[in-house]
Amino acid sequence: MNRLFTNQWARIVFILLIGLCTFNLLWAQDETTIAPVGKSYALTNVTIIPSPGKKIEKGTVVMKDGLITAVGTSVTIPADAIIIKADSMYVYAGFIDGLSRTGVTKPKEEPATQRPKDPGNPPAEQAGITPQSDVRSELNSAEKSITELRNTGFTVSQVVPYGNFLPGSAAIILLGGKSPDGMVLINQSGLYSELTGARFVYPNTVMAVMAKWRELYKNASLTKSFQTSYASNRNGISRPGSDRVLEAFYPVIDQKIPVVFKAEKILDAQRVLTLRKDLGFSLVMADVKEGSPLINKIKSSGTKVFLSLDLPDEVKKDDKKTEKKEAAKTFAENEKEKLEKRKNEAIAQATAQASDFNKAGMVFGFSVLNAKTKDIQANLRRMIAAGLPEDVALAALTTNAAKLLSLDDRLGTIENGKIANLVVSDKPYFSEKAKVQYVFVDGNMYKMDTKAPAKPDGKTVAKGTWNYTTERSGGKIVIKDDNGSLSGTITSTIREGETELKDVSLDGSSLSFSYEFAMGGNTGKVEVVVKIDGDTFEGTMSVGKFGSFPIKGTRDPKSK
Amino acid sequence: MKNLILIFVFVLYGSAASAQDKGNVLIKNGTVLTITKGTLPETDVLVKDGKIAQIAKNIAAPQGVRVIDAKGLFVMPGIIDAHSHIALDAINEATSPVTAEVAESDAINPMQINIYRALGGGVTTIHALHGSANAIGGQCQILKLRYGTLDPDALKMEGAPRTIKFALGENPTRVHGGGNNIVPRTRMGVEFVIRKSFSDAKKYAQEWEAYNKNKLVKGFRGAPPVYNLRLETLAEILKGNITIHCHSYRADEIFMLLRVCKDFGIKKIVFQHVNEGFKVAPELAAYGAMASVFSDWWAYKFEVYYSTAYNAAILTRNGVVTSINSDDAEMMRHLYLEAGKTQKYGSLTDEEALALITINPAKQLGVESRIGSLEVGKDADIAIFKNHPLSIYGVPQYTIVDGTVRFDRANDPADMRLMVDPKQNFDEATFFDKGVDHCLDGTEFLFTNDKN
Amino acid sequence: MKKIQLIYGIATAALCALVFHLEAQNPKAKNGTFALTHATIETVTKGIISDGTVVISNGKITAVGNNIQPPAGAEVIDCKGLFIYPGMIDGGTNLGLSEIGADPRTQDFNEIGDVIPQMHALTAVNPNAVAIPITRVSGVTTVLAAPQGDLYAGTAALINLHGYTSEQMYAGFQGAVLIFPNTGRRGYFDRRTDDEIKKAADNALKKMSEVWNRAVQYQKIDSATKGNAGYYPEMQALLPVVKGEHPLLIEVNKAKDITAALKWVKDKKVKNVILTGVAEGWRVADDIAKAKIPVITGGILELPVRDYDRYDQAYANAGQMAKAGVKVAIRSGENGNQNFRNLPYHAGFAVAYGMDKMEALKAITIVPAEIFGVADKLGSIETGKTANLFVCDGDPFEPKTQIKQVFIEGWQIPLVSRQTQMYDEFLKREPGVNKR
Repeated sequence: MNRLFTNQWARIVFILLIGLCTFNLLWAQDETTIAPVGKSYALTNVTIIPSPGKKIEKGTVVMKDGLITAVGTSVTIPADAIIIKADSMYVYAGFIDGLSRTGVTKPKEEPATQRPKDPGNPPAEQAGITPQSDVRSELNSAEKSITELRNTGFTVSQVVPYGNFLPGSAAIILLGGKSPDGMVLINQSGLYSELTGARFVYPNTVMAVMAKWRELYKNASLTKSFQTSYASNRNGISRPGSDRVLEAFYPVIDQKIPVVFKAEKILDAQRVLTLRKDLGFSLVMADVKEGSPLINKIKSSGTKVFLSLDLPDEVKKDDKKTEKKEAAKTFAENEKEKLEKRKNEAIAQATAQASDFNKAGMVFGFSVLNAKTKDIQANLRRMIAAGLPEDVALAALTTNAAKLLSLDDRLGTIENGKIANLVVSDKPYFSEKAKVQYVFVDGNMYKMDTKAPAKPDGKTVAKGTWNYTTERSGGKIVIKDDNGSLSGTITSTIREGETELKDVSLDGSSLSFSYEFAMGGNTGKVEVVVKIDGDTFEGTMSVGKFGSFPIKGTRDPKSK
Repeated sequence: MKNLILIFVFVLYGSAASAQDKGNVLIKNGTVLTITKGTLPETDVLVKDGKIAQIAKNIAAPQGVRVIDAKGLFVMPGIIDAHSHIALDAINEATSPVTAEVAESDAINPMQINIYRALGGGVTTIHALHGSANAIGGQCQILKLRYGTLDPDALKMEGAPRTIKFALGENPTRVHGGGNNIVPRTRMGVEFVIRKSFSDAKKYAQEWEAYNKNKLVKGFRGAPPVYNLRLETLAEILKGNITIHCHSYRADEIFMLLRVCKDFGIKKIVFQHVNEGFKVAPELAAYGAMASVFSDWWAYKFEVYYSTAYNAAILTRNGVVTSINSDDAEMMRHLYLEAGKTQKYGSLTDEEALALITINPAKQLGVESRIGSLEVGKDADIAIFKNHPLSIYGVPQYTIVDGTVRFDRANDPADMRLMVDPKQNFDEATFFDKGVDHCLDGTEFLFTNDKN
Repeated sequence: MKKIQLIYGIATAALCALVFHLEAQNPKAKNGTFALTHATIETVTKGIISDGTVVISNGKITAVGNNIQPPAGAEVIDCKGLFIYPGMIDGGTNLGLSEIGADPRTQDFNEIGDVIPQMHALTAVNPNAVAIPITRVSGVTTVLAAPQGDLYAGTAALINLHGYTSEQMYAGFQGAVLIFPNTGRRGYFDRRTDDEIKKAADNALKKMSEVWNRAVQYQKIDSATKGNAGYYPEMQALLPVVKGEHPLLIEVNKAKDITAALKWVKDKKVKNVILTGVAEGWRVADDIAKAKIPVITGGILELPVRDYDRYDQAYANAGQMAKAGVKVAIRSGENGNQNFRNLPYHAGFAVAYGMDKMEALKAITIVPAEIFGVADKLGSIETGKTANLFVCDGDPFEPKTQIKQVFIEGWQIPLVSRQTQMYDEFLKREPGVNKR
């Protein structure tokens, strides 16, 4: 048990849920996928965007055996094709993500180990030096992250193993498939690295990470050329040893694969560029968030770039604020105003990054590492509002990403012969309320569960103070209603203090919300969905991977 | 406000060149404290392309050049802090007693607000040091405080000599011996670690030399030695290409390192802190070793218990090239006050006191031909004070780096951050403990179980 | 003849050296009657007296002014060209409570517990701490020795820096220290989340109030039972504070926390309060002034606490509070390196960055004396006051200035500390490089 649940928080939750987990696991195993009848689909009467800037109205796209077989307005639909009437819908080439850990199983956190005997010479694994690792061994086709990302229109990801310094090689995978190998499009698409050190052991700081990088690379070059020399004539010289770590660098030295670096912050990016300059490998930077000031430097280095689809939250404008005259403002008001202005400028700068790259004539893709999938579509719209042309946004998601990953012969456009990766949305993808309806990956269809947007039934009232109970705990939920905008707080007998509720919404009589909580230094997210009946509710509460359990509540009628 | 707008321009267009701006400026009618050539009343200093072009009375302003009226003000060379840990993202690679291969040049953070705050104290150049967790720490970096750039490389002083941090005494013995049960736990161990490292490096250099020689022989196909950046760096010290800056306190350990250096033929050595340097001042002077000291810090741990604020004066009087440093983001803002204290503790003259924070640290860093005094041809790194800098009432008004005004007390806005966290919480405030040396920053995790 | 002269000379020199040597080995303070003549006297409270005399007798200042005849038998010290100032008071130190920063065995300012007002700093002050002579030879004659820790961390005491027992050193003031829950960070290494910080502070705040309520309750029972409320050491220690006889020294720094502290003091009707630290006092200076609560702020030589604060904000804080009408004393805050001798430089920096010079001088003399309720004895040069003063050759804020005489409670203090002794020994070390 200790090995499974290493931290305090997990243990508490586990104890709370010990009875329920088994039930949930059994239930999860009951879920089966129904195989499609045929392997051919036809999307009809659809607006086709075969590539950015091009458009075919009322067209048809035919797919068979995982490939696009016909595109156009006068297309014969094969007899075995399942026809999908996509009237007034829009179809695009499936989106491509330049860096994430989609489908990669997060390793269980090691229990707090004893302090290493010699922190200066840790085993390579502890040091984070496992470039020989293959992400395929950590892939799981049933990972929830695959579905989540695919639902936003992505069909391909470049994925990397978990870890800090040199966790292993990257692979490009299809976001759908039955087995890890079945998902892989390109194995070893790059050597993945981050400038993050190991905990407690060498290399711990960015200085040591950089030094070790240089040393490994230099030694790999030396052993590689010696091995070549040895291979040409083995007689009379001592046999070179084998070294998996150094050998993992060989394809990089040969320029067969690039180094894929996470380069989120401006200093990360510059340090990575320094390494590239010193060592001369070909470089892909991804998860880039502060790249604008570096465009020229990046451009002249020939580096390929994937910009992050994560953006800082927009600051809600306070409409009630009345404009005071400059002279009447206190120092604190003045200061706050200036600070908010700078903060907003910083947010605006992050939002305009993609547009800046475009203006500078840089080709770029996007990466979703650390981006919340539910924000991706909105973030793209914010980037477009900040000056990124829609065509360029689409190119970054499709054609340009395909080019940067050397996939453009197979992916990125809707053309005959290309892999049948498509995304279908009810409105133009970048428009305000567009919803993805279908995603095709490798010719397999995924239909979205498109529920109508939350709409209260007009009878049910969520507002009030609710006393709730679960099997092991209880507390109070207070829901506030400000002209239809719901908010609230929750208290619990097993935690101190009040927690703010998030995403409070009432759909018919179904009230849902979530909240985050911290315990033992960890945070967790709880999602709650209940049905309100008069002054009582019943429903479920889900705690991430620990499953869900029932919750009941009654309202103080006076609080309505 | 002008500055702020300028900064946004940097941020938006990321012009790294802006940092290397070599400015032009004419400073009129100031009392010029040249340090090396006396004090010149009512004198002008003309700066062209980042260099001091002329020091004289009544220089006519070239067209378009900014003129700073320094009447009643004091013009001195930019202050040099020979021991600082600002502008760095990492200070200690504390995982091993020897980490010569790591370099602060990889960890520069040009956006730290402490850089601007240091400019506010007249500082223009710092020696950004690795910490003192290891007997042989990492390589250090001489930085010019060209605040305004986002490019870490733009802060590096071009062509500055290479330096490396060593550390003796309690810090390395506590971190490695005490924390990890790895040699050194005593001052005996520290000496051994250093001697062994040098010996290994010597052997390593010989191996490579032999290999490189053999390679020239036709038909040679032998295996290359394993490349080891740590030994590679140590070998450079032995060749005299990297200067040791050694964190030290006690007289015995200072003397120990002198002997080690002598045995390995290392000539230039600078001791840092050297609280008990005054006890071995004759030995330091005889070796030609230099000392960079605190003005008056003591009592924060046992090895500084027998310190005296007269240290700088005793060292100076014994002929040791001495500087006063900060090791602290706050203290570096008033190194002129720290230098002034040597007039209380040991009655140094104005010129001697000012040399402690200008030409002397420049000598220690090997850049005295470039900075540290106001002389024609030198870099235009200048601090302009209201009131004499050795007076408590001295307040820097302008700080100029390479002829570019980087600090302007009257005109800079309060908020001088170069980049703003878009997730900033406006209610953040940090309160520091006073009186701890920062040489162990970044090693807190090592002491979570420390029972000392 | 010449030879005899030479021998005589050598003998005299040897004798002098011997005497000097003995003196250096046994520097003792001297009691008696002293007349400091021809000095410029900065009385602090009554202006500057030129070419004046201060007479010290029996621990007290017995006369100050012009045309004063030194009493018979007085040791006359000619102070021509020199200045006399009242001894400086550092209103917040751990002097005597800590010998070596990193050695816990030498630290006596932080006891276990967060409700321990019964822990008395005066008990643990080491009269022979090496830092005491080092501090006093720079003109700092009196300090507050204060415990640190969490919440009710103990009781601080004002001490004069001369004496061999706590009784001899005690300078007539004690007050309970309350470390107000801090919602700021303790340094870059403090990686707690905002929520964690808030929660920790909220919990501490709750506890702090509960303890206070209990102390108030205790006071009621105590007065009803005429002092027989039972043995509750914490409550007994808080009794004088609840009654307003001892002040509560509230250590608080962040603006929001200062506001919370002011509210707490008002809500709880705490009668006698001193705010200490007050790094962000400038943000809420008007509120502090309105509450009429005095402040002991410092150190002045500090970094701003927010990255967007003006670079010199910490230097300007004291002056800004004073301008808003807050009664401001300045402390050095140099606990870690025991450099309380730098107190005049903290005050000097406040002046350089905007504080009125006289206000700054008062902030380290008469104002702390007033705040501690000992202005009848300390803080200025007036007849009848305790003879705590120093003689120097210039502006005491200037680093160039040398201290020439220090008197504490009328004792002439030898200007010797371990640091000066090492100077004497090592300036010209014997032997030098070569032993023979």
